[in-house]
Amino acid sequence: MKIFSGTYMKDSGRIIIQGQEVEIEDPHHAKDLGIGMVYQELSLINSLSVAENIFLGRFPRKRSGTIHWSRLYREAYNLFDDFNVHVNPRQRVSTLGMAERQLVEIAKALSINVRVLLLDEPTSALSNEERNRLFEIIRHLQKRGVGVVYVSHRLDEVQQIGQKVTVLRDGKKVGTLSVEEVDEDTLIKMMVGRELQEQFPKEEVNLGHELLRVENINIVGKLDDISLTLHEGEVLGISGLMGAGRTEFARALFGIDKIDSGRVFIEGNEVSISSPWDAIELGLGYLTENRRNGLVPRLSVSANITLASLGQVRRAGFLHHRTERNLAQKYIKQLTIHTSGLGQKVEFLSGGNQQKVALAKWICSRSKIMIFDEPTRGIDVGSKTEVFKLMSELVKRGVGIIMISSELQEVLAIADRIIVMCRGAITAELKRGTATREDILKYAVIGGE
Amino acid sequence: MQRLKKERKAPYEKPSIGIGMQKGFGLQNIGWATLLRGGPIIALLLLVVYFSLASPHFATISNLKNIGEQNAYLIILAVGQTMVIIGAGIDLSVGAVMAVSASVMAVLATQNVTILGMSVGPVHASVAMIIGLLVGALAGAVNGIVIAKGRIPDFVATLGMMEAARGVALLVTGGLPIPSHFTATELKGYLPEAIIWTGGKYFLGIPTGPLIALVVVVIGWLILSQTILGRSMYAVGGNKEASRVSGLKVDRIKISIYIIMGMMGAVAGIVLTGRMNSANALMATGVELKCIAAVVIGGTNLFGGEGTVVGSLIGAVIMGVLGNGLNILNVSAFWQRVVIGLVIMAVVVFDQWRRRRFGT
Repeated sequence: MKIFSGTYMKDSGRIIIQGQEVEIEDPHHAKDLGIGMVYQELSLINSLSVAENIFLGRFPRKRSGTIHWSRLYREAYNLFDDFNVHVNPRQRVSTLGMAERQLVEIAKALSINVRVLLLDEPTSALSNEERNRLFEIIRHLQKRGVGVVYVSHRLDEVQQIGQKVTVLRDGKKVGTLSVEEVDEDTLIKMMVGRELQEQFPKEEVNLGHELLRVENINIVGKLDDISLTLHEGEVLGISGLMGAGRTEFARALFGIDKIDSGRVFIEGNEVSISSPWDAIELGLGYLTENRRNGLVPRLSVSANITLASLGQVRRAGFLHHRTERNLAQKYIKQLTIHTSGLGQKVEFLSGGNQQKVALAKWICSRSKIMIFDEPTRGIDVGSKTEVFKLMSELVKRGVGIIMISSELQEVLAIADRIIVMCRGAITAELKRGTATREDILKYAVIGGE
Repeated sequence: MQRLKKERKAPYEKPSIGIGMQKGFGLQNIGWATLLRGGPIIALLLLVVYFSLASPHFATISNLKNIGEQNAYLIILAVGQTMVIIGAGIDLSVGAVMAVSASVMAVLATQNVTILGMSVGPVHASVAMIIGLLVGALAGAVNGIVIAKGRIPDFVATLGMMEAARGVALLVTGGLPIPSHFTATELKGYLPEAIIWTGGKYFLGIPTGPLIALVVVVIGWLILSQTILGRSMYAVGGNKEASRVSGLKVDRIKISIYIIMGMMGAVAGIVLTGRMNSANALMATGVELKCIAAVVIGGTNLFGGEGTVVGSLIGAVIMGVLGNGLNILNVSAFWQRVVIGLVIMAVVVFDQWRRRRFGT
């Protein structure tokens, strides 16, 4: 998608538009060729009006060179009018709902006379009703001869809106079929593919007593009645699609976001966690999904490792540098972090090593309950295996791990139990050994009905 | 959907050790390797060499003392501002806080005032100074609380304090210099000796102003490199979200920074009052930008998370040496400002280039 819209350059291959081979150099060029793109993460400027956003960079001008405001608003109005949609062109984007923003985004793409429109997960933030409205617009566009590429992981949408469907997996095309030929099961099979030969070190660990019990956690609009338990020595996998509420759950449990209702028990005692500080005091650790939220890039490796356990390096009110060095050295060795020295700034480490520093931080703080959010995202295969070995070490010592992961093989191989989430709710709890990729995907995509 | 990664790449795999915070926060921070690395110390040396060659009056003991005395307050402010900027903030109220704490101190030390119906003062110099410090701390605390709890940008909150504190200073002094022969009672228009000592006397042959500044530098260095609080300042300034997730109490740290800054502002105010033998509500106008310039010249990252007190000391001295040297060379005051502005830009451009080039 990003190659097509000109954000990324392709390494090889040809793009042919209406019989002519083209070389798409940048997003601007893509626009000139009539390719419109609606991004998953909206690219609107909140502080500007709807019309300004649509015509950003191409404002109609008067002869004097100043902006022709009335024409700007009129053109924006006409654009919406074409589709029987009513969005006020003068309204500020920040006051719009998600669905309306999506419409503005589409209007922006259409304002350049598109021949091909790319939509990337356009309904991920929409309600059913809003989605239907969007589909109407798409059908309307089809009638006008615009080709639409619609990327979605909601399988039911494929049948509703598509004529042809192409399945991609791991950057490769699996197949293209006409929609009449396929049902959801076929699609899931195509998405799963065959097993890859990867090594996941997993040692059997006897489960100890219950470490954590979560009862009916709710956040309006994000989490719906989440309940689960975690035992000593257990790896609990949480699977689901992007936006299923997995990270929201982790953040809520760790005290970063407020919960609306629900109870949390640690080793049988009810606790209240209202800040990450509380969570750490209670023995929780949270490896964030995005390393950038978990590390301080301009600080040294040793400073990052001890960041969550500064109490351990305090002597008589001062920072004890020798203790800190020793601690950091220990974990650098234990996790084989490749660094030119303790003082190396974390921003200059590779992704895998950064991740290991982030892990070391929580091992250093002696967390008993660790939440790993996508622990292997963006790191190389070697580091991945090391991360799994480390997890094995931890559970052997009685740590309980909640592993959030989008990599199905990982979850299947490492987790003792797998919880599947879909749209903020738990849709299934599966056992290791009996669960299959098809099961997980089914519950993650269609919620198990 | 993959996001475009915007990562800074190190041109060299192994940046040499000994730069800034690279070797931890220990004594290495003030190692020569550190200092020679940076543009600031080079700029300072060049300036000193140039002025020494250009004028026989520059490199004399009395002139160097003079530079120290003139800039003691600036060094003190720069130390506080270093912490603020490392914590990814900025404090525009320092000049006003200086004025209000100095004014309160001077009024209490020389006048009989009525507070809540009680007749107070003139109080002992030490009491007046302590109250001055508390006023500074209070102003800082208000800054910090408004920023942290009110979730307001540092710039805006301290801009408000800049105006408000000036106003309070005017109210306290009635717009008059303190002491003035209109209002001073027993002391007949003179500040107590102890206050004058802080800015205008000698201790073991060293002028007291620079000596106090040096003590503040050491305290600032201790806090930043030797305490948990200091480490937390770097962490919060470097990545607030990560600090929060790592269990740091971000709000408290932010408030602490501004309280320390407020107290340092008060110390600077006392020293300047001692040097001028007088306090007034409009003293130290424009110093906030001067001390920010000193901090930035000293290599502290305006986006937070990086910087040293020693760098800021050098930055402040550069500003002082420039002003003094240009005076000695008889450069007009108008041209001086142009030159100082250009030097600030040149040093920072050089420093940015060095960071990119050497990846540190």
